[in-house]
Amino acid sequence: MLSFVIRKLLMLIPTLIGITLVTFTLVHLIPGDPVAIMAGERGISAERHAQVMAELGLDRPLWQQYLSFLGDLAQGDLGHSLISSNPVLDEFLSLFPATLELGFCAMLLAVCVGIPLGVIAGIKRGSIIDHTVMGTSLTGYSMPIFWWGLLLIILFSGILGWTPVSGRLSSSYWIETPTGFMLIDTLLSGEPGAFVDALRHLILPTIVLATIPLAVIARMTRSSILEVLGEDYIRTARAKGLSPWRIIAIHALRNAMIPVTTVIGLQIGLLFSGAILTETIFSWPGIGKWLIDAVGRRDYPSLQGGILLIALIVMVVNLIVDLLYGLINPRIRNSR
Amino acid sequence: MALLEIEQLSVAFDTDEGTFPAVSDLSLTLNEGEVLGIVGESGSGKSVTMLAMMGLLPFNARVEASRFHFAGQNMQTLSDRARRRLTGNDIAMIFQEPSTSLNPSFTIGFQLLEAIRAHEGGSRRQRRERAIELLDQVGIPAPAKRLSDYPHQLSGGMNQRVMIAMAIACNPRLLIADEPTTALDVTIQAQILDLLMRLQEERGMGMILITHDMGVVAGAARRVAVMYAGQLMETGASHDVFREPAHPYTGALLNALPERHPGTTRLPTIPGVVPGIGDRPQGCLFHPRCAHAQKDCRASRPSLEARHAETGLGTRHVRCYHPLNEEDLEIMS
Repeated sequence: MLSFVIRKLLMLIPTLIGITLVTFTLVHLIPGDPVAIMAGERGISAERHAQVMAELGLDRPLWQQYLSFLGDLAQGDLGHSLISSNPVLDEFLSLFPATLELGFCAMLLAVCVGIPLGVIAGIKRGSIIDHTVMGTSLTGYSMPIFWWGLLLIILFSGILGWTPVSGRLSSSYWIETPTGFMLIDTLLSGEPGAFVDALRHLILPTIVLATIPLAVIARMTRSSILEVLGEDYIRTARAKGLSPWRIIAIHALRNAMIPVTTVIGLQIGLLFSGAILTETIFSWPGIGKWLIDAVGRRDYPSLQGGILLIALIVMVVNLIVDLLYGLINPRIRNSR
Repeated sequence: MALLEIEQLSVAFDTDEGTFPAVSDLSLTLNEGEVLGIVGESGSGKSVTMLAMMGLLPFNARVEASRFHFAGQNMQTLSDRARRRLTGNDIAMIFQEPSTSLNPSFTIGFQLLEAIRAHEGGSRRQRRERAIELLDQVGIPAPAKRLSDYPHQLSGGMNQRVMIAMAIACNPRLLIADEPTTALDVTIQAQILDLLMRLQEERGMGMILITHDMGVVAGAARRVAVMYAGQLMETGASHDVFREPAHPYTGALLNALPERHPGTTRLPTIPGVVPGIGDRPQGCLFHPRCAHAQKDCRASRPSLEARHAETGLGTRHVRCYHPLNEEDLEIMS
């Protein structure tokens, strides 16, 4: 088991180096340069432009820039943002809790709703419930996230006025944020109403971000349950005279969760790309919005560092999912 | 006293292509402590009949019977809950594939204890002791250690022993063994069969043994039923049926046994296959494959008729217009 983890961790290194190469290349393929964009409409003289580029080290050949980026990286230095000149890592860490909070709530919603829906659809195969769940989830899966978010904003924030349009907390509250997780911080602040306000801000982005993973999880659970219910050991469980509830919840679900766990792991990676759109729509001050802003400003170090960190997180999450298989599936546990 | 009484049982499956009758007009009785063998080719409705008795058929199956009693209770009017109290408790079943019949995600201890807990009380400790005792009874070495093993860590034969332990956990009055040795090695087959027969004798359970193997039935069951395409073709004392088969199908099955043809390189076979959905013939279901078929066999379906007088081992019944006579039997042997 330990050697399995070590082997997997060692395999992260070449993957990460590959990712640095790809992100570095892609980031520099974007037309335009940060200095011209910083200068804006007023423009900048050619000498001044060249001077600033030299100060930022952007006048060197790309391969030199890449090697110095790798060199810094080896020392744990992700560089400084071209815009704020803060260390990239600090910026990332200060914004990450917002994304984590949103992503966690979305995943929680997707799992807690998607799995039961999939189970019910699977048990009631061919029924109205099944067709409704499958139809809705296909719609949800096919829906462009930005459009779906805008629709929800128009309905719930615009017409009904139930939820705020954007942000994490109304400006009428001013609270300390020691953890960076708004739900926790508002509770700690003791400010009356702050927690509910934070929760209300969280509802729509969570729904939007959860939509695709929820649909995928529901469909995967359904097909997995259907397959498992046809297995011989389910017949054995019935032959023991167990209650239908016990057969589904204990004997079927445990086995059906094996492929669903894989899918959940993969969805966590996709969650980041969903977060970029969702955070932009709802002006959610997280990593996604930060990255979009960095693209707009050609903030190369922030982009390279941010994408690298996200890639690292996704890989670690997938490693954890790999390890979780062993917990669910004893056949894997013993073969390692 | 009759433990199981089934009269005119029929099982049909609703499929997209229409209704498929898997079993029709099947009548069976089984006394307490009696062993009945059911033989027939794959697709002849043996397993479906047993699953119907257990209430384990899929939702698209329709089961009808003019009488379906177990231990004096009418199984057709029982609620689902009352039915579940019987299954696994008074009626238990073991299956063909031991390795897939156990849940791969749980230890055999969990699965065995679950069977005990579902129907019997007792403290955790008592149940555990009972589980160890059961594993010991079915011949599993170091039973206490095996409780924490998963099915994939045991061999097929050991898994089948676990299945048997689970089946006898609540002292059933009827044990249904659906081809319990088919998936096992030949050497293990004999061991498992011996175990089943020993347990049956010790406990005085009624037992229905489904098998392809005529030799197994001859040794284990006093009575035998031969099924073909969802119908009983012949029933009677196995001694009588095997010595003097009356139905051409029984005769053809027995004739295909290798031990009846020492020295030959090519065994006699029954041409064709068991009819499936939609190709059930008119008349006798067996007539297209029957060497003795005549005009009336094609015209109408024979019914199950009593043939010999009572012999004390149950009446002999045959579904055939032209049962085999001594001449036919001589040609075969």
